[in-house]
Amino acid sequence: MLDIITNMLSMCIPFSVALLLASIGEMFNQRAGVFNLGCEGVMAMGAFVGMLIPFLAGHGGPVSEWYNVLGFVAAALLGALFGLFFGLITVTFRAPQGIAGIGLQMFGVGTAGTLFRHFVGGTQSIPGIPDIEIPLLSKIPFLGDVFFSHNIMAYLAYILVPVAWYVLFKTYWGLKVRAVGTNPRAADSMGINVSRTRYEALIVGGALAGLAGAYLSIAQAKMFSDSLISGRGFIAVALVYFGHWHPVQIMGGALLFTFAQTFQTIVQSMGISFPYELAVMLPYVLVIVVLSFTSRNQITAPTALGKPFNREIRT
Amino acid sequence: MKKLLVLALVLILPFMIFAQGGSETAADDDTFRIALIVENTIDDKGWCQSMHDGITQAIAEMGDKNIEYSYSEKMLPVDAGSIARQYVAQGYDLIIAHGAQYKNLVLEMAEEYPDVSFAFGTSSEIGPANVFTYMPESEETGYINGIIAGTDTTSDIIGLVGPVDSGDAARYNRGFVLGVQSVNPDAKILVAHTGSFSDYVKASEVATSQLGNGADMLTGSSQQAIGALRATAESPTAMWVGQDLAQLTTEEGKAKCIAASAYNYAAVVKELVTKIEAGTLGGECIPMNFANGGFVFDYNADLKADWVSPELETMINDTIASFQADPDGTLANWADVDYSTL
Repeated sequence: MLDIITNMLSMCIPFSVALLLASIGEMFNQRAGVFNLGCEGVMAMGAFVGMLIPFLAGHGGPVSEWYNVLGFVAAALLGALFGLFFGLITVTFRAPQGIAGIGLQMFGVGTAGTLFRHFVGGTQSIPGIPDIEIPLLSKIPFLGDVFFSHNIMAYLAYILVPVAWYVLFKTYWGLKVRAVGTNPRAADSMGINVSRTRYEALIVGGALAGLAGAYLSIAQAKMFSDSLISGRGFIAVALVYFGHWHPVQIMGGALLFTFAQTFQTIVQSMGISFPYELAVMLPYVLVIVVLSFTSRNQITAPTALGKPFNREIRT
Repeated sequence: MKKLLVLALVLILPFMIFAQGGSETAADDDTFRIALIVENTIDDKGWCQSMHDGITQAIAEMGDKNIEYSYSEKMLPVDAGSIARQYVAQGYDLIIAHGAQYKNLVLEMAEEYPDVSFAFGTSSEIGPANVFTYMPESEETGYINGIIAGTDTTSDIIGLVGPVDSGDAARYNRGFVLGVQSVNPDAKILVAHTGSFSDYVKASEVATSQLGNGADMLTGSSQQAIGALRATAESPTAMWVGQDLAQLTTEEGKAKCIAASAYNYAAVVKELVTKIEAGTLGGECIPMNFANGGFVFDYNADLKADWVSPELETMINDTIASFQADPDGTLANWADVDYSTL
C-alpha cells in the first residue's frame, strides 16, 4: 500500500506543472483586471512551437538538450506575443474580454493544429527532457520519489511560486498590477499607466501560458497532437478563482486537482467497484464544490476584473 | 464600429483558417462518391486514420470503379450537419460519419434524404433503410493482444488504458482481459479509463500510474493510446501491445510495441459500395472480425524474436483460426467481464 501511495504522490508534482504555470500566468492577467479565457489557445501554440524545434532538429530522434531549451524559450516568446495581441484587442480596442478570450482560444488551438499538420504531419513524439534524480536527496525513502526525482522544469515551476508572490506583493511593479486591477481610475490619478501595466501583465501571463503548453509537449507527454491541451487552459482559469488570485493558494489548487486526478486513476486501477464515469469527474467536481463554498471570492477578486479602462469616461 | 470589426475578425478568423478537408479525385458524372466525416484527423495513427486508410485501400482495390473520395476533419457532431448537407447537395452516394457520436445526425439526415446512403459506427443497431452501421467485434483483437501480454509479463501486472467503457473500446478491453486470463489467470490487470478518446496527456498519466504500480505490459485503445505508448517508452522494461498497426511505425512503437492488430475498413467499404450499387442503401449492420477480413494482425519484426516464442506464435495462429472458423461463438461471453473482480 505504501508503494501505491508513494507512486500516487510522486506523480502530483510533475503532472501539476502545466496547470501551475498557466494559472500563475492567468493570475497576473486577472490581477491586472484582464480576464483571459484564451489561455487554452496560448497553451496550444506553446505546446506546438515547443515541440516543433526539437522535432525538426532530430526528426523525432535524440537531440541536444539545448534544442529543448530553445523550444521552451520559443514557446514563452510566442506566448508573450499572444499576450500582446490580446492586449491590443482588450486594452487598446477595449473589446469584451470574455468574447475576445474565446476567440483567442479558438485561434490558438486551430492555428497550432493547422501549422502542426503543415510542418510535422500526423501525431509525433520527441525524446523530451528526462527526469533528474537529485543526488542524495532522491535516495531518501518516500520523500526522494515524491519530491526529488522530477524533470528540471518541475523544480523551476515550483520555484516560480515564491517568485510570483514576491513580484506581486513586494515589488513596485506588482503593486501597479494590483492597483490597475482593483481601481484603475485611482491608479491612473496616481500616475500609473494603466494600459501599459495591463499590457505588461498580459505579456507575462502569455509567456507563462506558452511555457505551460511547452511543458506538456516537451516534458510530460513528449508529443504533440491537436487535442493535447484538452481543456487544461480552462482548468487553469478556474484554479485562479480557486486560489483567490494568490500564488501559494493557486499552487495548492493545482496540487489538489492533480492529486484528485491521480487518485481517481488509482481507484480505477485497483478494481474498486465504483463507476469510472464518476471517478473521472472527481477532480472537476472538487473544483466546483470548493468554488461554491468559498465566500472569500467576493473579497479577494480584483474589483476591476473584466472591465475595460477608458480614462476619458468617468464611471 | 471599430470594436465590432475587431470582434468579427477575432471570431471569423479561426473558421477561415481551420476548415480542413480534401478530395482524392476529380468529380465525374458516373462517379461513385464517398464522403468521410471524422472528429479528429486522418493521420491520427488511430481511429480516424484507420477508416481513411481503409477507404483509400478499398478505392485502390476497386480499380475498375470510378470513385471520388472526400473527407472532412475535426468535425464535432454539432458542426458536422452543415458539411454533410453540402456532401448531399454535391451528389455524394455514401456519407460515412465515423463515430457513434454522429448517430443522431445520421438518423436525422437519413430521414431528410432517403435516396442517400449513410453509415456510422461503431454500432450494432440496425438503422433505417438508408443507414448502415458497422461494428468491429474487437474482443477478438483484444484477446490476441491479451494472450501476448499474459504470456510475456514477468511482474504479472498488466496495464490497460481505456478511453470510455463503450462501443468497440469496451469490447477490445474485455477481450484483452479474457486473453490474459486464458494464459495467466494469476495476472493482475489494472484497468483505468480516461473518459476521453483523444486526451493524450491523460492517457500518458494513466499509463505512468500503472507503470509506477508495477505493470510491465500495457495496452490501450483509441487514438489517445499513442500517449500511453509514449509513456511506456519511458520505462526501461515495460512493453506494449497495440490496437493499431500505425503504432508499429512510431519511434516508441518500434522499440516497445511487440505486435498490433488493426481494423481493416477496406472490407467494410467495399461491401458498402457493392450493396449500394446493388440497390441496398442501408438497414444492415456489417460486423468486422477476423473471419470476414475486418481485422489484420502483425508483429514488430525487430521484437518478435525476443518476445514471441514459437509456442506463443502457434497459440496466436490457432486462436485466429478458431475466430475465423466460428466468428459468433468463440468470445460470446466478452460482456460478462467485470473489472471490479480483477
